[in-house]
Amino acid sequence: MQEHITLECQKVHHWFGESKKVLHDINFSLIRGEVVSLVGPSGCGKSTLLRAIVGTHLPRKGKVFVYSHVHTPPRIEVTKPGRDRGIVYQRYSLFPFLTARENVALGLMLDQTSIPFRIFQPFKWRKFRKQHLQKATALLEKLGLGQSVKLYPHELSGGMCQRVAIAQALIMEPEILLLDEPFGALDEATREDLQRMILGLYLENCKAKQKNQKPPYTILLVTHELTEAIYVADRVMGLSQYWNWQVEDFNAFPGATIVYDKLAPVFDPDKEKKHEDFVAQREEIRGAVFNPNFRQDRHQYITFWKQVKSGEGVGILKNNDPVPKPLKDL
Amino acid sequence: MIRKPIKKTWSIILGILSVIVLIGGYTYLSHMQHKANPDDTTIPTWRQLSQGVKKALKKDRSGERWFPEDVKATFFRLFLGLFLAILGALVIGVIMGCFKIAESFLVPPLSLLAKVPPTAALAVFFVMVGTGTNMYIVMIAFGVLPILAQSVYLSVKDVPEELLNKAYTLGASHAEVIWNIIVRFILPKMIDAVRLQIGPAMVYLIAAEMLCGDVGFGYRIRLQSRLLNMNVVYPYLAFLAGFGFAMDFGLRVLQKVVSPWYSR
Repeated sequence: MQEHITLECQKVHHWFGESKKVLHDINFSLIRGEVVSLVGPSGCGKSTLLRAIVGTHLPRKGKVFVYSHVHTPPRIEVTKPGRDRGIVYQRYSLFPFLTARENVALGLMLDQTSIPFRIFQPFKWRKFRKQHLQKATALLEKLGLGQSVKLYPHELSGGMCQRVAIAQALIMEPEILLLDEPFGALDEATREDLQRMILGLYLENCKAKQKNQKPPYTILLVTHELTEAIYVADRVMGLSQYWNWQVEDFNAFPGATIVYDKLAPVFDPDKEKKHEDFVAQREEIRGAVFNPNFRQDRHQYITFWKQVKSGEGVGILKNNDPVPKPLKDL
Repeated sequence: MIRKPIKKTWSIILGILSVIVLIGGYTYLSHMQHKANPDDTTIPTWRQLSQGVKKALKKDRSGERWFPEDVKATFFRLFLGLFLAILGALVIGVIMGCFKIAESFLVPPLSLLAKVPPTAALAVFFVMVGTGTNMYIVMIAFGVLPILAQSVYLSVKDVPEELLNKAYTLGASHAEVIWNIIVRFILPKMIDAVRLQIGPAMVYLIAAEMLCGDVGFGYRIRLQSRLLNMNVVYPYLAFLAGFGFAMDFGLRVLQKVVSPWYSR
């Protein structure tokens, strides 16, 4: 089972001070090769959860694990940021003092060399540097930025910056790529371009799986845009503070929790995006995740693992054999 | 209209014109003064000024050439003091900006020291390191370091948290985050801060040289002012102004070379 899982959040709770409860009993695991959207109302703790996964702000209770396909032991508990988790932010997505290709090559430099090596073995370092820049250029060309490799971030458009930022994270071959509202500040056309790029990566995952290879990209996308969440992902999770905690024997609000976890349709990046394909699920998410008066049992919308087991999965989840066992708590 | 742009040629012409007006104004003043008093040395003529320059360059009775000796002494003190201040400020500022313990420990004393005018503390340096070159160097370092360190510290605090987190996710160690991310990010701002501190550093040095120097720009200007040899004083002042301008220009060029991304 574990070789299929990339990330696991186990009973994650978080609070600020004594009374400000933020996250309550977050449990989920992501299958390798999935693109998962995490949606939720403002202030529900999406960023707090993301920080816990990145390792910059650890949860007060509970654990986050990353499953590596190369390292021993394969399961690593998240205690600090590490190169197994790539991150792309909405703002400050690139280092302003590096060109596009230097930004992409930075991770290779940091990962494969050290400061003493770069100072005391300049000739060997130069050789490495050349290789790193070549690899970075090749990746940027693949993402359609071949003409912009020598430009600085301030010379690139917002969409180009985010593309470079994604390349910067992907070149490290992270176990999981975390996207924190990466397209939030972009115009509609650019945003759609980048969404198609993510769908293209997902397509590569499907092809790899067909060839019995490890799907290279697992992505967790935090977004507040519901159409985007459904369009780019094969699974949508909803984190919300609007849930019926009174019926689960709590005297006070215990924090936001997962209230929605379902499959999403998989779209072809080359086909036109149609509004009607999203309406039903959009409304369902709106009702289950964004409705302050939601009083139903949240578990009725947490059906992802049941759906996968019953063979409803598409894309990377199609005929997922062996199907990863869902966590006990789910 | 406010901030209405003008043509570049106009900008150049106006710049040249301002210098011509300055030179013309001086020539006129000097002419009028010498008309009233032909022996005047307070506003020397161009001829008197050239004599003053020659005097500063030629050997005096003791066989010393004033100008080269003064340049050597003053610049050695200035550059060594600035170098130590910049190095110290970079280390202290970065440590303060990166580590909360250092921040809590160093911010209060640094804030206090930054408010002490170094020329007022001259007696302290005099007692501690004597009247030699060390005193001038320590005074420049003492005068510039606290402000520069605070500037570096604030620049480090300005580095977005996201960039640091991102560097860690790319496999950076703490040392690499400091050296490869923070220092590179603050470098152009640090150069700006140094540009602003060159003026005060020169003020501290010249003032100290005036008070207790036996060679250097401050010493020579004080001595020649007392003798009303303004034909020596003015070229010295012009040289100092030119030097300050050249340093500022050089630092701006350096900033463009080392941080081409830092455009305004």
